[in-house]
Amino acid sequence: MRGGRAPYGKAGALGRRQALRLAGAGLFAATLPARAVRAAGAQDPQPRRGGHLNFAGLAASTADTLDPARFALATDYIRGHMFYDGLVMLDAEMMPHPALAERLESDDLQTWHITLRRGVTFHDGAALTAADVVYSLARHKDPAVGSQQRVIAQEMADIQAVGPLDVRVTLRGPNADFPSMLGIVSFSIVRNGTTDFSQANGTGPYTCTEFTPGVRTSGQRNPDYWRSPAPWLDSVDMIGISDDMSRHNALLSHDVDIIASVNPRLVRLLRTRGFGIMESPVGTYTDLAIRLDEGPGRSQDFVTGMKYLFNREQVRDSVFLGFARMGNDQPIPPEHRYFAADLPQRPFDPDRARFYLRRSGMMETGVPLVCSPAALASVDIAVVLQYAAQQVGLSLPIRRMPADGYWTEYWMKTPMGFGNTNPRPSLDMTFALNFASGAPWNESRWRDPRFDQLLLAARAQRDEAVRRQIYHDMQVMIHEGAGICLPAFTTSLDAFNPRVRGLAPSQAGQLMGFDFLSHVWLDDAAGGAA
Amino acid sequence: MSGMTTGFRALRLPSLTPAQRVMGLFGFWLVLAVCGPFFAPYAPGQIIDTEVFAPLSHRHWLGTDYLGRDLGSRLLYAVRYTVLICTLSTAFSCGCGILLGIATTATPAWMEQVAGRLMDGILSIPSLLCALLVIAAFGDSLLALVLTLGVIYTPGAYRTSRALALRIARMDYITVAVARGEGALFIIWREILPNMRGPLLADVGLRFIYAVLLLSNLSFLGLGVQPPLVDLGSLVRENVLGLVYGSGAVILPTIVIGVLTVGINLVLDGTSRR
Amino acid sequence: MNARLARLVLRRIGAALCSLLFVVVAIFALTAALPGDVADMLLGQNATPDATQALRHALHLDQPLWLRFMHWCGGMLHGNAGNSLLTGRPVSEMLAPRLYNSLLLAGATTLVAVPLALVLGLACATWRDSVFDRVMTVLTLGIVSVPAFLIATVSVFVFAVQFRVVPALSDIRSIHSVGQFFLTFAMPVATLASITMAQMIRMIRACMIDVFSAPYMEMAVIKGVPPVRIMLHHALPNAIGPVANAIALSLSSLLGGVVVIETIFNYPGLAQLMVDSVMSRDVPIIQACTLLFCMTYLFLTTLADIVALASVPKGRGA
Repeated sequence: MRGGRAPYGKAGALGRRQALRLAGAGLFAATLPARAVRAAGAQDPQPRRGGHLNFAGLAASTADTLDPARFALATDYIRGHMFYDGLVMLDAEMMPHPALAERLESDDLQTWHITLRRGVTFHDGAALTAADVVYSLARHKDPAVGSQQRVIAQEMADIQAVGPLDVRVTLRGPNADFPSMLGIVSFSIVRNGTTDFSQANGTGPYTCTEFTPGVRTSGQRNPDYWRSPAPWLDSVDMIGISDDMSRHNALLSHDVDIIASVNPRLVRLLRTRGFGIMESPVGTYTDLAIRLDEGPGRSQDFVTGMKYLFNREQVRDSVFLGFARMGNDQPIPPEHRYFAADLPQRPFDPDRARFYLRRSGMMETGVPLVCSPAALASVDIAVVLQYAAQQVGLSLPIRRMPADGYWTEYWMKTPMGFGNTNPRPSLDMTFALNFASGAPWNESRWRDPRFDQLLLAARAQRDEAVRRQIYHDMQVMIHEGAGICLPAFTTSLDAFNPRVRGLAPSQAGQLMGFDFLSHVWLDDAAGGAA
Repeated sequence: MSGMTTGFRALRLPSLTPAQRVMGLFGFWLVLAVCGPFFAPYAPGQIIDTEVFAPLSHRHWLGTDYLGRDLGSRLLYAVRYTVLICTLSTAFSCGCGILLGIATTATPAWMEQVAGRLMDGILSIPSLLCALLVIAAFGDSLLALVLTLGVIYTPGAYRTSRALALRIARMDYITVAVARGEGALFIIWREILPNMRGPLLADVGLRFIYAVLLLSNLSFLGLGVQPPLVDLGSLVRENVLGLVYGSGAVILPTIVIGVLTVGINLVLDGTSRR
Repeated sequence: MNARLARLVLRRIGAALCSLLFVVVAIFALTAALPGDVADMLLGQNATPDATQALRHALHLDQPLWLRFMHWCGGMLHGNAGNSLLTGRPVSEMLAPRLYNSLLLAGATTLVAVPLALVLGLACATWRDSVFDRVMTVLTLGIVSVPAFLIATVSVFVFAVQFRVVPALSDIRSIHSVGQFFLTFAMPVATLASITMAQMIRMIRACMIDVFSAPYMEMAVIKGVPPVRIMLHHALPNAIGPVANAIALSLSSLLGGVVVIETIFNYPGLAQLMVDSVMSRDVPIIQACTLLFCMTYLFLTTLADIVALASVPKGRGA
């Protein structure tokens, strides 16, 4: 039996969908600064080329893949950034910047013209053309590919090459956030016609020298990389260690230089030994979804009572040891520029909870809290909640399910169950996929026609102020109406040997939005940790 | 028996027979399992301190765990579930395994073949697969847990007891007993079992230890005691990070497991000294 | 004697084939009974009903169960274990390096554990109830009862992190010399061997003591034969059956039952592959791994049985 599958199993999925948004208009010009410049930082000495870096992520299994369509975990996303590029890349504030696309333009926000960068070559020497882009995007819609992003890709009604370096994408409806969507690593560009993904043939900063699923991924610096002078490293080895203690031990013993998904409980040890900790404020959250269409959730009073039962400060301080931000029962994290800051924080209020729960007549419901190691920290959050419920006279049994099969067998299928959601590249996608009436992953089955109308209105809206107001109202509606209890947004933690330089936190996901390998360099003068 | 042990016997507690010692030790753990939780100062899921892996103090005698819960209270609950579940499942697996192992030495060859192949088969099915299947089919009740643990360890008990029984079945006194016309049950109970007692009890003791350890693996998968309750092995597992801070949360449950399992094995050993 | 052995071996091989068949059918049925299939697991949290259905169709998972089983059996008869549903690569190609790693680890552990366990187990039985025996008993029981992940984690933290004498991860690629081989394998083999040995010492000791209680042994003691001689010439031949059985049972778990060790030392072996495949419902790999584990187990237990039977006639008259 596998002993070490970390309790935070799906933490590997921390930020597995990134989020970003192109502010306002649909015009996307190449005047934005390339991101590599910022990452170097002001106080850092000049980056130095060379060296070999060992990295250990959280997950390694035979499900590891080089097929962008099948990227599911954080380690997959890192592998994606290592060997491939997208048309768009996201910066630390999740704003889209040009990558393989030089320009991305639209007049009506529905038909988009993509102009590709000139002179980019794949690792096998072939030049990047429009046909590669069409193939890479269109394959997500083919069910046989098994793409993780199929639902999102279906937004693209038509994808055409209109010139050697020009692609036209027609969406199903206007969507100002289309560039952000292309920032998802899964939409990385592969060579036209690729079906064998045992090797990676991308345009990315490293070429693939070894790929053994469940064991190791190795890369060598791509000398022809278009974002030169990046990358700085000569070669990279990437492994996955699912056991928390072993992963940290590997860093402490200098077997590896960087680890992802640091356990908050080991931060103190790593700091005293001189290792660096990077805290990334990603918008990943673990929530309790109370279904509004069955069980006790049919009573609005019950749902309100449950929301008052969450001791959010305790969740933040005891479960995440402070490496989290309090949630307010809506999915937008405090750092986000559209965050509804004036929405009052819902407090932990046992008296009010008892009042609402009694009024709902559901005190004797006996409906269990379904949780799993698959949903980050959900078992611990359930324990905190259960104790609070017990204090107001509500008995909530906990049912901890195996991580194995949790998403298909239990998630969204029980009256009260925990889920874990990573931030999406835009608010539009978050709302459309998780909260709209017909959303495929509407955890609480919340339906509000006004919310659906606002969603469509925001999509076609170019005026930034109006858009902000709409998104604000939508957050308020979720906060009050949906059956989502959202106690906290997690902070992603990575740890590194001090000789690794150039790291900077990003909202887009762990390890600089999974793209750290293009930015880090090794400073052998730094001495190293104890 | 032989003179080899007499010298050491003088050092042992003189007033108790080995059987009394077994009963006494089991009795002690059973009483602790049943009554222990009534003396727990806190609820097993109650967070009492913001400091995790806190050291011993007057507020929480044994310190806190990885969430800041009272370790002492959790230990008392853990003892209850580990002792009860593992005792039952060991009794089940060893009962079935030993009975089958001995019986097949006397039954027709084809029955031995069927039982043997079945046991080999069960042993080859990964316990992970077994556990996932049980959860899917029967849910996570404690009974399902006991049966799963029991079934997983039956083939091992079967093989050990069969190997022992085969040797004894060829002994002269068995031939004599058969010639006397004794019944099969009588022979098993009076002639075979007493003569394989030593290695068999060592095996039973080991199987009890395995059950304690596997229980924590199953809990980890989802089949097991449901939170906030916990078993001893899971207590070690969930607090393993405390190791680097020298926390009692990982050391104390390990010691309790050791005292429980080593103690039981030692008294079982003692019964084979005649 | 030789004819008897040959008959026995043939019978055992026949029986082993029956067991294998049973296991193959059982595993196929059990994995099918598990909730979810490889399509569900691939799409995970991002699944929608139509996407899952379409992928299932593309992977031929919508065929009836018996048909898929027949396909698999047909392939096996031609020596083709099929392709992984997840990666599309041939099962043999995915299995081979893992099997090599697992055999390396199991072999090294066996070489260390079996001789040591035999010597220590015999010594315990010979000087039964001595201080040495008492210490060994408590020590072995203690080692068995501490969870394996704790033993491994503690030893890594002490030897790799605090003292920095061995690497924390066992990376076979870094082996270029005999010295490196020992360093790389020191930790996993030591951990694994101590656990396996503890089990074996317990059983060997118990079996030997059992034999000691036989009447003919008492005769030998009364006659004043020295203990070591009693042990080697009188007791050991009689205890070979149960001892071999105990060793076989302990060794048979070295391929498939070492997930914890493989995980903690990041050592890519078969056990980890098996767990991955169960998690992703990759049936062809589950089947192949189970077959391997089952064959190892049958081989070892058959060997033990042969040793046991061959040793019986000699022992009786002693």
